[in-house]
Amino acid sequence: MNFWPHELVKRRELIWILIQRNLKIRYKSSVLGVFWSLLGPLFLILIYSVFLGLIRVPIHLPTLVSGIIVWQFLAMCLGDSLQSILGNANLVTKASFPRVILPLSMVGANVVNFVLSFVVLIAYLVWEGGAVGALGWLPAVFVSQIALCLGLTLVIGSVNVFFRDTEHVLSVVMLAWFFMSPVIYEPDMVMDSFPEWVHWLFFMNPMSGVLTGYRMALLGSEPVAPELMGVSLAVCWLLLGVGLLVFRASEPRFGDEL
Amino acid sequence: MSTPQPENGVIVVDNMSKAFRLHRSGTRTVKSAVVDLVKRRGAGKNTFWALKDVSFSVGRGETLGIVGANGAGKSTLLSLLAGTKTPTKGAIRTRGTISSLLELGAGFHPDLTGRENVYLAGAIMGLSRRQMRDRFDAIVDFAGMGDFIDQPVKHYSSGMYVRLGFAVSVEVDPDILLIDEVLAVGDDNFQKKCLAKIEAFRNLGKTMLIISHDLGTIQSISDRILFLDEGKVAGIGDPHETIGGYRALSRARQTRGHEREWGTGEARIDDVVFEDAEGRVTDTFASGGAVRCRLRYHARKRIENPVFGFSLCGADTRLIFGSNTQVEGFTIDAIDGKGELVLTLGNVPVAAGNYLFSFSLHSADHRENYHRLDHAFSITVLSDARFEGVCRIPCSWEM
Repeated sequence: MNFWPHELVKRRELIWILIQRNLKIRYKSSVLGVFWSLLGPLFLILIYSVFLGLIRVPIHLPTLVSGIIVWQFLAMCLGDSLQSILGNANLVTKASFPRVILPLSMVGANVVNFVLSFVVLIAYLVWEGGAVGALGWLPAVFVSQIALCLGLTLVIGSVNVFFRDTEHVLSVVMLAWFFMSPVIYEPDMVMDSFPEWVHWLFFMNPMSGVLTGYRMALLGSEPVAPELMGVSLAVCWLLLGVGLLVFRASEPRFGDEL
Repeated sequence: MSTPQPENGVIVVDNMSKAFRLHRSGTRTVKSAVVDLVKRRGAGKNTFWALKDVSFSVGRGETLGIVGANGAGKSTLLSLLAGTKTPTKGAIRTRGTISSLLELGAGFHPDLTGRENVYLAGAIMGLSRRQMRDRFDAIVDFAGMGDFIDQPVKHYSSGMYVRLGFAVSVEVDPDILLIDEVLAVGDDNFQKKCLAKIEAFRNLGKTMLIISHDLGTIQSISDRILFLDEGKVAGIGDPHETIGGYRALSRARQTRGHEREWGTGEARIDDVVFEDAEGRVTDTFASGGAVRCRLRYHARKRIENPVFGFSLCGADTRLIFGSNTQVEGFTIDAIDGKGELVLTLGNVPVAAGNYLFSFSLHSADHRENYHRLDHAFSITVLSDARFEGVCRIPCSWEM
């Protein structure tokens, strides 16, 4: 596969069919099917607002809900990524096609899911009547998060073919990453109580930029220095590059290992 | 059939080798990978060469049969040609689209319907949705699916699964078709359909590579035969000759250590060919089925009242059954020159395994042994039945 983009354009029908397949399998034998992509975030918002209201935690609900929905996109991608190659062993060992299509379509299915959750989120924010901020960040963080998810899916999917320990490592890493990223808090908390070099470190985490970008656009959150945002989003694309390299190096051995 | 020149071959395999790394335990862990890295010195130690320096080419429209013992590298070769594995050394060049019947329907997802799986399979082989729509009815028709096409394939019988897999692979209209042991699946009717389709493919000038243990069939449908032995090309060429070479070698292997040939040589048993009830040449039989042995003899002088005998032994040379023409009351007045004799065993109820045949040609009074071939021929018996012991005796229970 010397020319990935060229091959991928040629194989766009396969990518689309696999995205549909991934979605169908996720909702197999469920009555409401793909509606769960809408119902999931809806119940999430409902339950959080009821219980946070009851226990009177001083937390801004739109911040929390937007954080969790954006984080879930990453978490679901990486959860699926373990099986992106292994789970398709029957295809990999029986037919020849650009293997990169498998992680790509898995991320694609999760993008579809995320967009549906996102619609619910927007509806909720409109209903809440909050302020709108710098909408220009929206497309930038959206594509950067997809790049990040794809990059990590490529790495995890191929590494898991060779080392089944990946799954356990991933669950630990995800837990730590969750608290290192501003999912249930706002970056201000870090910015206000730590010196400047920590800010840079904090924004080396690609999810810091992604989450902050969404909130700047949708909630009108306090703007963060563009340099910090730039670092964060650049790391997303860097990880996509790393993912492609790792995948390209391991791809020829998939057929032997599976 | 002339040997195609490498430059106009649609498949050219050039000095290709494939190595597998052997893992001591099934799945690799970080620990074992670290251990491997540290112990790197003996790099070639844990590698197994499935194919070694294989070179051949296949011309357009040619049908190449591939034979060889289990583990000879046949299936590995087809997966390399299909592009699902990568050669360790050397190169493979193929021209045109390839469809493989490596494992029928293996790419199907159990939760998707037949229709969805057909479109997925088509997309994997690079066909557009529109191209697949044009072929869809032909696929459903050939597979004889009917309304089942909209059911999830997990509800299919294994026969339906295989039929749909075969239908998809042939209807996508590939330039090169790779077939691994599909001739052994499905019922008789479907097998006939497959063979007819393969024949039609041939007439369309398509290139095919076929692996089969059914030597009779493969000999009749192939233009040339490639004989693989322990990962190397042991022969390629005329079907009859190459399969003869394969038979001779596997016979020599399987009986190694037990066979003994002796006698005066005044008359000899030149060859014995085994056939099933339908008259197909084979070394593999179903338990309880008929085994026919075609003995070709050559008497250098006239011999009066000769006796032909045989015995069937287990792989451990324990005698199971033996008899001869004299015991069975089949009197042969005399033999002179070349001739043929057929021994039919109507029902061989032995357990699954390998068995050795011995044949003898001696005088009526057993004084003269003209030719004896002890444990010289090996057959394999397959059986689904489970029982203890060497053979199945019909039994029933009452209370």
